[in-house]
Amino acid sequence: MATKKAKVAAETEAVLRVYEAGYHIASSVKEDELESIVGGIRSIIEKAGGIFIAEGAPVLTKLAYTMYQSEKGKRIAHDRGYFGWIKFESPTTLAKDLSDALQKNKEIIRSMVFVTLREDTRAKFRVAPVREVKRGEAKAVARSEEEAVPVSEEKLDKALETLTE
Amino acid sequence: MSNILTQNDIRYVDYKDVELLKQFMNPHGRIIGKKRSGLTSKQQRMVEEAIKRARFMGLLPYIQK
Repeated sequence: MATKKAKVAAETEAVLRVYEAGYHIASSVKEDELESIVGGIRSIIEKAGGIFIAEGAPVLTKLAYTMYQSEKGKRIAHDRGYFGWIKFESPTTLAKDLSDALQKNKEIIRSMVFVTLREDTRAKFRVAPVREVKRGEAKAVARSEEEAVPVSEEKLDKALETLTE
Repeated sequence: MSNILTQNDIRYVDYKDVELLKQFMNPHGRIIGKKRSGLTSKQQRMVEEAIKRARFMGLLPYIQK
């Protein structure tokens, strides 16, 4: 029984999977210190024998909703954070260790580790933002196009005749 | 099937593509159903998962007032 369990454990450890870790670093952290925090995440992956595939440097982003973090009985609100991500290949055991380490880090507001694909998963084309389109602009363009079409006087007369008939 | 994903040959939806994911949400921040989005079942599941990840990471809202 014990040997079977050991075998299964050994097999699961040997399996390599592609993971992505996304994280939000608190906006209170200075920009100079960001590199050290990201370096800490990288070192955890490197120590466990992970291989880096791609990385997105932390960028200050406005959060869609306020996140709260409790520290020493105080509730700290965050409405901004440095969002970054790392894609890597590693044994399955690392994913759990990394997510635990990210959650323990007080400078990281929120984190997530999940299985993904090796290929670049981001969409290649850019979708036009839904709410930034102004209706007035769209109408103006349509009108100018209509005006630009040249119409001969004969055609106009014919059209008028058909209307008056 | 004509939907944004098929037209642009998108086979995997990333949670970081916020502008793409917004196409599948209504003004209240709710996920649009399969019938309205015109997505296949597989695509719908993929989009739902990506939106839920983006929400958790604070890139998209759970509800929009």
